[in-house]
Amino acid sequence: MQNRETIETIINNMVMAPEEGRYVYCIADSAESVHLGKIGIEGNEVYTVPYNNICALVHKCNAEPYKSDDAEIVKSWVVSHDRVIETAWEKWGNVLPINFDTIIREVSSNSAEQNLITWLAGEYEGLRNVLQRVKNKVEFGIQISWDPRGVAQQIMRTNQEIQKMESEIAGKSKGLAYMHRQKIEGLLKQQMETGADGYFREFFGRIKQLVDEIKIEKTKKAENGLQMILNVACLVERDKSQDLGQALDSINNLENFSVRFIGPWPPYSFVSRG
Amino acid sequence: MEPTRNGHATLVDLLDRVLDKGIIIYADLIVSLAGIPLIGVNLRAAIAGMETMLKYGMMTEWDDRVRTWERQRIEARKLLTKPDPEIEEQTAGILPRTGK
Repeated sequence: MQNRETIETIINNMVMAPEEGRYVYCIADSAESVHLGKIGIEGNEVYTVPYNNICALVHKCNAEPYKSDDAEIVKSWVVSHDRVIETAWEKWGNVLPINFDTIIREVSSNSAEQNLITWLAGEYEGLRNVLQRVKNKVEFGIQISWDPRGVAQQIMRTNQEIQKMESEIAGKSKGLAYMHRQKIEGLLKQQMETGADGYFREFFGRIKQLVDEIKIEKTKKAENGLQMILNVACLVERDKSQDLGQALDSINNLENFSVRFIGPWPPYSFVSRG
Repeated sequence: MEPTRNGHATLVDLLDRVLDKGIIIYADLIVSLAGIPLIGVNLRAAIAGMETMLKYGMMTEWDDRVRTWERQRIEARKLLTKPDPEIEEQTAGILPRTGK
């Protein structure tokens, strides 16, 4: 009978169909309800889900994370994720990026989109506050590295205690000379530690005065045998970064130092709570 | 000095931001659990074009050296300088995490 078939089809569809989700890219300072085209991950259609005077940028997907072992595929996802955020940034001027692979699912009888709206409603005040805080501001990354060899040489040349110990080595027996060398090495290491700290504080202090917000990041491997001694993200008012650029120039011009100044980015590093 | 977004290292900067930053939603309505990385360390390195380093096992060595360097710097900072509450607070999160 037709009825039984229909019921079976409905049940089958319910059981077999993958759960629907919404991949969320960012929150934008806009109440517009629009489609932005197929600019999302895997060419998915991106559109806005408004709530009050903000909206979320989403695409429809299955309620499961994007996962792959293929570096090229994941890279394309990451690039797409950022591209959607930058598109919204360009269009509406103020966005809050959301972490990669954030997918809202159905829960009991509520659809993913309903859940998203509920979440927006619950978080509305907090989101509005952050939007206000980052309004008209852009993120920059600053990485300062030094050439450890050059710095070590400079210390060896100028540090009085080391100079004294170097002169004392002459005339010592092989064994004692070796121990002396070890001592000098220890002293050199200690001087470099102190130096790195001092420079960190000095540079951090200078940068902090020229930006609205600053966050310390982990240092990473620098290139060409350099050693990174400072890694920060900072938030600066749009088009007001000249003073910062100048300060970084003077640091970059110091012997043995190298500055990497990157951006502008949407405020990725300044939107998470806690 | 002008800020730039060019250069091969920029992909690393992008990965750092997209994968680690942005609003992280902690709620039942999210599909993946926060804190469980969907993109592992090795895959990240591969994306950033560091396959060669991985192949020759240099990745682990570098990782160790960076952690040691960081640890030493943080300890040295505490010993040698007056405590700066802002820096203490901000560096609290960058020590290598254990048991993840």
